[in-house]
Amino acid sequence: MRIGDFRASYRHDEALFATPVQRLWFALFVLGLLLFPWLGGSYLTYLACLTGIHVVAATGLNIITGYAGLISLGHAAFMGVGCYMMAALASLGVPFWLALPAAGAASAAVGVFVGLPSLRIKGLYLAVATLAAQFLLGFVFREWDAGTGGVRGVNVPAASLGGIVLSDDARIYYLIMACAVALALAARNLFRTRIGRAFIAIRDKDISAEVLGIDLFRTKLLAFAIGSFYAGVAGALMGYFFRAITPEHFGLALSIFYLAAIIVGGLGTLLGTVLGAAFMTLVPEALRGGVALLSAWWPNAMALLSPVREMVFGALIIAFLVYEPHGLVEAWRRVRRFFHLWPFKT
Amino acid sequence: MTRRRSIVQSAAGLAGLSALGVPLATALAQEGDLVIGAAPPITGVFAFAGVSLDQGLGDYCSWRNESKGGVMGRRLRYVSEDSGYKMDQAMAVFKKLMAAHKPPAFYGDSTAWAKAAAAEVSQLGSTITCSPSYSSDLADPAKAPYYFMAGPTYAAMIQILLEYINRISKAGKPNIAIVYSDTEFGRDPIPAAKAHLAKLGLNLVQEIVTKPGSVDVSAEVAKLRRAKPDYVIFHGYVLAPIPEFIRQMREAGMGATTFMGTIWSMDKSTADAMGATGDGWMGVMPYRYSHDHKDAPMMGVMRDYAQKKRQIAYVNTFYTHGWLVGMIFSEVLERTLKARKPLNGPNMKAALESITDWDTGGICGLLVSLKGHQIPSGRIYRYDAASKLFEPASGWIRTA
Repeated sequence: MRIGDFRASYRHDEALFATPVQRLWFALFVLGLLLFPWLGGSYLTYLACLTGIHVVAATGLNIITGYAGLISLGHAAFMGVGCYMMAALASLGVPFWLALPAAGAASAAVGVFVGLPSLRIKGLYLAVATLAAQFLLGFVFREWDAGTGGVRGVNVPAASLGGIVLSDDARIYYLIMACAVALALAARNLFRTRIGRAFIAIRDKDISAEVLGIDLFRTKLLAFAIGSFYAGVAGALMGYFFRAITPEHFGLALSIFYLAAIIVGGLGTLLGTVLGAAFMTLVPEALRGGVALLSAWWPNAMALLSPVREMVFGALIIAFLVYEPHGLVEAWRRVRRFFHLWPFKT
Repeated sequence: MTRRRSIVQSAAGLAGLSALGVPLATALAQEGDLVIGAAPPITGVFAFAGVSLDQGLGDYCSWRNESKGGVMGRRLRYVSEDSGYKMDQAMAVFKKLMAAHKPPAFYGDSTAWAKAAAAEVSQLGSTITCSPSYSSDLADPAKAPYYFMAGPTYAAMIQILLEYINRISKAGKPNIAIVYSDTEFGRDPIPAAKAHLAKLGLNLVQEIVTKPGSVDVSAEVAKLRRAKPDYVIFHGYVLAPIPEFIRQMREAGMGATTFMGTIWSMDKSTADAMGATGDGWMGVMPYRYSHDHKDAPMMGVMRDYAQKKRQIAYVNTFYTHGWLVGMIFSEVLERTLKARKPLNGPNMKAALESITDWDTGGICGLLVSLKGHQIPSGRIYRYDAASKLFEPASGWIRTA
């Protein structure tokens, strides 16, 4: 039971890891990430890579939507911009440590352009504007044969570091996790700064924020830029991971996927982003594994239960939102509070 | 609070149980089994095909075990999980089954999967693969050495249609229109189709692209009316919007126009759904239909087994495709084992390419050669709305 948590200074209060226990847990988490490919095997490593990519992308969307309050339905398209930019640079021999930030920058530029209507419109109207961007960029991905390969897509050469080619899941895992951890910490840091607090102020009451001296237009564009940067990096990581990309990867369904991830995880929280991305990636796999388990005794289980699996997944999302409207992060906070206050009741 | 906690605990328990699936399945395996893995689309947009594909491939494995004791005395074990027609899920299934069972043969769900898995399959060098995709990109043994397709490429299918049109057209060169979907599936064969059209001297009078499941095609029909094609070739669709195109064109007085499609729009269920509009609907099929088993003993065996095991009244083309893929997998495994070579990618590739003049028991009308990793032959069928069956309209045509 934690008796007290005394913050003696502003710096201490703002610290990312305020207590030695938090620092220890984070160190153990990083150690676990480092050892995971050896312990988890190829299948679980694949799922971890996918989750890492989704965490990066969902963090970007949480910055735009969760923190700045700007609904975006074009997040998958921003990922596509980043992915195709990375593919073009990689084919020219540009190393990943240059291609990844360049991909993010390209997406950020597109995100700023898409965010221009946010000066005039907000809420659902802005959502429709970003939806238009999703369709426009999807059209470009499909039709611009010279740039994107059209519907056939592009093959992406494997990333390499020195002489090590990151051609299998265990190797690319470290790149993905390094990016995910670094960008998550950067996002966490962002909301200790004036810019992050400006995003939150705009979300809560943009008129009051403007009265306080926050430049609304510039701040909203900055939110789109930073969130789209994250999406571009996630798209580039997806390209390095799958190595064969088609426009169908970046459809509206993926944008909705990320929106669901940040809502289920908890809007406006970084931990919620991670939990939501993990939930949306791993729960369908767990449900499919359950059906596969039943198939050992009931041969027709897959044909009969697979459609039910989709309904169960949807029902789980609804159940979480009904019983825990603040998302998975609130459930996590409740668990933490229990252990902090044990043996006293919460 | 208590009720909520119990719901969360139950969900966590169920998720934990499902994690047992992989080690338990492995424990149930029999030593020496030849595992055929698959990630068919049991749910998703192609579920109607995926369920039958899964059944066809699984039933072939069962039939082979019951009738021939498997392959070289080793039983075939079919392990499949739903891909939902999503590439990341298909890849997850692929990696899961590869880790748990190391199958020497794997059946994917789409072109996207085949392309994404190609690098890893080449790197692993342990598995021969197939999928429902007939994309030309995958028919290159140099780029996809461990992939084969149980039929001709989409480009070759349209070539078969054009060859047929060219053969039956007596008075002058007919006018052709091509209507295809705005997907990779739809666009794949178009450049080759246009080149073949030019080679045969046929006239391409209109080229139309639509969304895969379009509802309103009146503008496109207007273009076709102005172009007055003798033949309209559809590709990249399963059903919609083909019936709407045909209906509107018939109503516009274009009764003489012949409508044609490729493999995935040639199932009986698709034509039945067209109703009276489907009468005269033609297309290319690499296989016989299950009702056409007179000179095709394996078609009869397949049909009887499906009826016995699943009480299926009519065996569709997707089931036939799955069954044929099972036959090819088994033939490759058998040839490799007979040559006393280990079951790895290069050996199985060599075995695949050694399959020439192979009798599929009538499923394919011609003797099959898989040297080019595809079966480049097919036949034109015409749908008769009265009998609700497809009848042959040509002999078997080989493209390469």
